[in-house]
Amino acid sequence: MAHSDAIQVAQPLLWALILLPAAGALVNGFFGRRLGKGNVALIAVGVMVAAFAVAVFAFFQLFHGEHGTVLRAPGDVWFRVGNTSVSFGLLFDRLSGTLSLVVTGVGALIHVYSTSYMSHEDDFGYARFLTYLNLFVAAMMTLVLGDNLALTFMGWEGVGLASYLLIGFWYTDKQKAFCGRKAFITNRVGDFGFLIGFFAVLSLFGTGDYAQLTQMAGKLQGGQLIATGPFAGWTVTAALTLATLGFFVGCTGKSAQLPLYVWLPDAMAGPTPVSALIHAATMVTAGVYLVARTSFLFALAPASMAVVTTVGAATALFSALIAFAQYDIKKVLAYSTVSQLGFMFIGVGSGAYFAGVLHLVTHAFFKACLFLGAGSVMHGMHEDTDIRNMGGLRKKMPWTHLTFLVSTIAITGFVVPLSGFFSKDAILANALFAHNAMSDAYPWVGPLAYVLGSLAAAGTAFYMMRLYALTFAGEPRTEAARHAHESSPVMWVPLAVLAFLAVVAAVLGLPGNWALGELFGRFTHPVFAQAIATAHVEEHAATAWPFIVAWLVALVAGGLGYAMFAGNLKSIPARFVEVFPALTRFAQDKFRVDELYQWLIIRPLQVISRFLWKVGDALLIDGLLVNGTARAAMAFARLFRTLQNGDVQRYAALMAVAVGVILWTVLGRGGN
Amino acid sequence: MLLTAVIFLPLLGALIAAFLPAGEPGQHRGWAFFVTLATFGVSLALWAGFDSRPGAAEFQFALKVPWIASAGIGYHVGLDGVALLLVMLTTALTPIVILAAWSVTERVKEFLIAVLVLETAMIGTFAALDLVLFYVFWEAVLIPMYLLIGVWGSQNRLYATVKFFIYTFVASVLMLIAIIYAALHAGGSFDYLVVRDALRVGADAQKWLFLAFAVAFAVKVPMFPVHTWLPDAHTEAPTAGSVILAGVLLKMGTFGFFRYAMPLFPDAALQFRPAIAVLAVVGIIYGALMCLVQGDMKRLVAYSSVSHLGFVMLGLMALTAEGLTGGVYQMLNHGVSTGALFLLVGMLYERRHTRLISEYGGIAKQVPWIATAFVVVTLSSVGLPGTNGFVGEFLILAGTWLGRMPGTQLLAVLGATGVILGAVYMLWLVERVFFGTITSDENRHLPDLSLREAFVIAPMIVLIVVMGLAPQPFLAPARPAVDRLVTRMQEADRRLRTRDPGRPPSVGGQQPALALEPTTAPGALAAMPPAGGSH
Repeated sequence: MAHSDAIQVAQPLLWALILLPAAGALVNGFFGRRLGKGNVALIAVGVMVAAFAVAVFAFFQLFHGEHGTVLRAPGDVWFRVGNTSVSFGLLFDRLSGTLSLVVTGVGALIHVYSTSYMSHEDDFGYARFLTYLNLFVAAMMTLVLGDNLALTFMGWEGVGLASYLLIGFWYTDKQKAFCGRKAFITNRVGDFGFLIGFFAVLSLFGTGDYAQLTQMAGKLQGGQLIATGPFAGWTVTAALTLATLGFFVGCTGKSAQLPLYVWLPDAMAGPTPVSALIHAATMVTAGVYLVARTSFLFALAPASMAVVTTVGAATALFSALIAFAQYDIKKVLAYSTVSQLGFMFIGVGSGAYFAGVLHLVTHAFFKACLFLGAGSVMHGMHEDTDIRNMGGLRKKMPWTHLTFLVSTIAITGFVVPLSGFFSKDAILANALFAHNAMSDAYPWVGPLAYVLGSLAAAGTAFYMMRLYALTFAGEPRTEAARHAHESSPVMWVPLAVLAFLAVVAAVLGLPGNWALGELFGRFTHPVFAQAIATAHVEEHAATAWPFIVAWLVALVAGGLGYAMFAGNLKSIPARFVEVFPALTRFAQDKFRVDELYQWLIIRPLQVISRFLWKVGDALLIDGLLVNGTARAAMAFARLFRTLQNGDVQRYAALMAVAVGVILWTVLGRGGN
Repeated sequence: MLLTAVIFLPLLGALIAAFLPAGEPGQHRGWAFFVTLATFGVSLALWAGFDSRPGAAEFQFALKVPWIASAGIGYHVGLDGVALLLVMLTTALTPIVILAAWSVTERVKEFLIAVLVLETAMIGTFAALDLVLFYVFWEAVLIPMYLLIGVWGSQNRLYATVKFFIYTFVASVLMLIAIIYAALHAGGSFDYLVVRDALRVGADAQKWLFLAFAVAFAVKVPMFPVHTWLPDAHTEAPTAGSVILAGVLLKMGTFGFFRYAMPLFPDAALQFRPAIAVLAVVGIIYGALMCLVQGDMKRLVAYSSVSHLGFVMLGLMALTAEGLTGGVYQMLNHGVSTGALFLLVGMLYERRHTRLISEYGGIAKQVPWIATAFVVVTLSSVGLPGTNGFVGEFLILAGTWLGRMPGTQLLAVLGATGVILGAVYMLWLVERVFFGTITSDENRHLPDLSLREAFVIAPMIVLIVVMGLAPQPFLAPARPAVDRLVTRMQEADRRLRTRDPGRPPSVGGQQPALALEPTTAPGALAAMPPAGGSH
């Protein structure tokens, strides 16, 4: 964390945030099958509620402490070798505290929802699902609370594991199992980058502890030359650029950015609560969290900030375009998530740290709500996910409809600005106006991000209204839609809570300089103070026009979306498909990036492997060297052929004689 | 005496077993299990009694008795921390192997005697402190292993076992010649400590000696490109053979580098180090690529060993505390996780009598506990944090990155790609075997883990988690030995640099470039620069 002068309060209770869900996973994992669904649900939800209570308690302790107070739970050494030492220690500051609330709070709601959503599974499947879900929360809390890079990495890969298990939850379906593996392996590519970044940091600072790193980084100047180590002769900026880019490669995996985003849309193969919790609200934001957590390092590397910002902006627009053409309700939301994560990266990349994190929080509320709403719709529609088969669900599923509408407004800012509007606008305005180390070195990045981001925002409004219109507005288009029914209260109450949060979270991001202005910005300031100082982030005067522009953009695009799919302009989409059939198909096929990777990476790897096996191992080494030698020896060996008759005792005797001969040789020669 | 007891208890057990009637296999199984369990029990005393503080003796539990005094050969045994860990690995693994081999029904008596003899030979290899004694144990390992594969193996066992024997035997003979040469140039003694201190040979001779040892060890590891015996041997060996082969035998090679090739011939070792490190990285990647195209489960796991042992060799060649310790730790990890993989593959084989991946598919529903265990072991194999594999791989790669050999960072980066590839082939294996729908009717009624099998696999799972979360008790014993080797190699490095003044230091870790002086408590320090901008 970014305040080395912070007041530290020991709070061992923090461990409960990890150990409670872990205990839930262990109990349900081993005994869940025999406990029965009721008990399993009680345990799984119970530990989550308890963890949330602990998080709230810790948060209040933080809140009531002096400005900049942090809670810490020291732990034992994990491993210590040479100069490298890694410990189990937890850190609960205003950043990790905020995320703890989100993870345990939204997590608890989604656990409740799951107890009903998954009720058609058999006892074993039910227990397995809630075990994995608890396991995920334990890993996520490790990621968030770890006070050093190693522990964060442990959580980082842990959530990857939970994600793998949950995407492939219905493993008897080969396709779903494949999607789980695809997610894990794509993430592994990212983790490779994380590791390299970690090693670079180790060779620079000798530790991965955030507090110590903050302290050491605070004393550095970017232009300083490094004297020793692997980076001898580099400047601090150059070395940290490499390290932070390594981390960011990890982020592109975990947080589904270009070019590693391809796993997230496929992750929708998992049960819908998983999509809501892991692949929208929490896990996929881990990359944003990592950049925020190490912001003091990124601040010393303007090039990395520029890369983060640019990649975020490009991803935001790219995936919004794909979302235009998708017909699967979950796929639309998945690409929307990729796009929104791009916004968050524009924020934390361009120095608007609080805005990026705020968008993370508000997105957790409305996107979880949207996904759970989609799950509710799927329940009502007998697991059909094609929005072309829906329509008119407004009347059939009033609660689902209402909460979905609220969340749609929150994400788009269409009509009434709700939470998502303010966090998104704060990000874009900052990108345009901010003066900092990045804008000094790369002045074009901010405006570019603003333009791409605004286009993506327009796209968001359009595809979300399209989604809403096709699903809920108009008249039912199929029998299934005509007979759809509202889900049980166990499912819609969490929806209502999330929708409520999506509305009130707007308070956190209100602009301006007044009692409620920039609440979250002020709250998180101690965490980002050093990064802000290092990157010379200057406040820009709040101007009204970006807000008005953003609102108009949302209004026009959203209105257009609604009109084209539920209003008077209905003929236009069909016309578009007629006029640009190839382009439409290209977008529907997700720009064929998966195929590109297939031909560029996977196929060549397989071909090379097969070639090496057949030529390297079989032909050259075995054929020429080994068997060649053997064949030469064969002639000699023929003499002893009679000895090879398969009689074990004879073999043993032979071996004994051989040992004797060896010994004799040794003794004879050695003794001379 | 304690160490000697641990070495020869299994042999004694084998001798007694020779007198038990062959017609009562149950008796043999019980007896062998009891003997190996007792050996493990006694070896725990070694574990408890080992002093890993910096000032403690290098070799503990030492016993030195003249054997063939006229030839300078003695029965000299003793353990440093690394050998201790490997002995523990051996004694812990053997009872598990015997429990797993309960299902062997053919020539049970001979089978178990072979395993017991093998255990003595393996422990002896790690404990020996006399070059001839070492060589005797080293070669003695081959005989029971040869029989295990050749007699109890599957269809193509003869080719595999002969290949295994010739490969390793030919390489070892070179070592024998080198041992004799070295002893003659060290005052005629074969004692390891004497040879290490008194060896006086020219630079060229040292190179040849190092090469002779290195080739013998490289074959055993096995390093690319002398690895091709391993897939055949593993594929044809019975489960017990595979587990011991992967779990312990391969470590004899890496241990050989650590104990013999590097400390005895440090100058030559430094000269060949870049080449070996490159071969190690090639092995990591090559082995992983081979795994991508295997249709036979055991062959796949065998190639994964080539990749994992590449990590070990990379760690050893880093010559930093992190790299060496990580290498040692990875030896244990590989013993546990690859051992467990072979045990699980063996269980599947016993059910279906095929190793072909395509014969399986979708069986997780039938055998959920086997599937769960397999996934946990897979996670260890791919180095997920929280499992033992992570600690090893992390230390190896970090140690390589922090090393001082020119280009070592590039090797670390290339080696780290093995982390990706490992996940690719292992998860693909899991998917093809356990997930999807059942395609073969024969798989519809597979029984899940039996109680005996649960006892076989549970200790491995426990080790995976314990060694992942609390590795320190396993890392601590290795430290003195690692520090000694680093010091020894640093001295050699200094010698090379006096001869060649342009040569930069290449051994040991580097101090972090930007670290502050060690501080008492983070957060208790000076205020940061004033925050600019807002507020």
